[in-house]
Amino acid sequence: MISSHLQLIKSFVVVGLGAYGGGLVTIPLIQHEIVTVQAWLTFKELASLLAIAQMTPGPIAINAATFVGYRISGFSGSLVSTLAVVLPSVCLMALVAPFVDRICHNLHVKRIQAGFQIGVLSLIIFATWSYGSVAITGFFDLLLALMAFLALVASEGKLHPVMVILACGLIGLVVY
Amino acid sequence: MSASYQTATTSTHDVSSRKIFATFFRIGLFTLGGGLAMATVVRHELVLKRNWVKDEDFLNEISTATLVPGAIAVNIAYMQGRKLRGPVGAFMAITGTVLPSFIIILLIATFAMPYFSYPKIEAFLHGCAVAVAGQIAFSGLIFARRNLHNIASGLLCLFGIFLVGFVHLHPVWTVISSGFLGYLLFTARDLKASNQKETNE
Repeated sequence: MISSHLQLIKSFVVVGLGAYGGGLVTIPLIQHEIVTVQAWLTFKELASLLAIAQMTPGPIAINAATFVGYRISGFSGSLVSTLAVVLPSVCLMALVAPFVDRICHNLHVKRIQAGFQIGVLSLIIFATWSYGSVAITGFFDLLLALMAFLALVASEGKLHPVMVILACGLIGLVVY
Repeated sequence: MSASYQTATTSTHDVSSRKIFATFFRIGLFTLGGGLAMATVVRHELVLKRNWVKDEDFLNEISTATLVPGAIAVNIAYMQGRKLRGPVGAFMAITGTVLPSFIIILLIATFAMPYFSYPKIEAFLHGCAVAVAGQIAFSGLIFARRNLHNIASGLLCLFGIFLVGFVHLHPVWTVISSGFLGYLLFTARDLKASNQKETNE
């Protein structure tokens, strides 16, 4: 029990720390920690979890922490995982907040941040492949993912992602 | 604490912890997906509706919230809560933001999970999961448009993909090494160009 809690804390501190740039960037990280390293969920379970996380309130990282923690060791597991995923944010913000004005306009910080942004882009492109290649299992899946992509591109982001996900779920209900 | 931070603190009203908690609970409850989507809701609640925070301060703080690792929603809650009522305010704001998703996911894990293997539910979730793949690709496109502005950034991006995809470097180390290389690679002129691009958009 204690050892599984420690493992949960370790994994979700890493997820919280790496959730840089927010939202979908966390997907490759969660996939790495939860499916590849720890094998706490199968990929299929993770894909369902991510779909649910996108349709329910709150950041993906927190939803994933609560869910996985609960699966591994019940309520106490969900509590420690959720705290663990929030912890890096709180510590780092406490450290940085007093110097906000100086840091935001510092050229050195801006150069590092520009590099971080590119790193995040690399992760998203990698996630498109690492997530997509497992989630998409046939020709119709590919078509549906393409439709979701094109719907978002055509609406220039004005269409809420949740609507697109729900619509694809309903199409899935009819077709699969 | 810097001088402007002080003035920002004194200019805000004295807001009770209970009010901070209630406001951020509402924000947490009504923000689907989290992240930057939450920034719009927070702005609506704190700046437009309640006048707790000034708009230009808020925009500055959002860029800090995205600068620091961690879920953006939590970072925003920390900054705003701290400004409204110090450490207690930060605690209240974060708890308020996280609690709704914590409760909802617990409810789903307890009561809805057993039905996930039903064929119809499985088909629905599979459709949703496939859509998420399209959504990831879309956010990649948005990110690329915003951040790729010269050959150097393109090469850095490819190198990052190489590190995470082929060397199997941990995603966190990949982002850190990109930050380090970006520091060496990007000049003040590059940053100016990217800033211009952002303001044009």
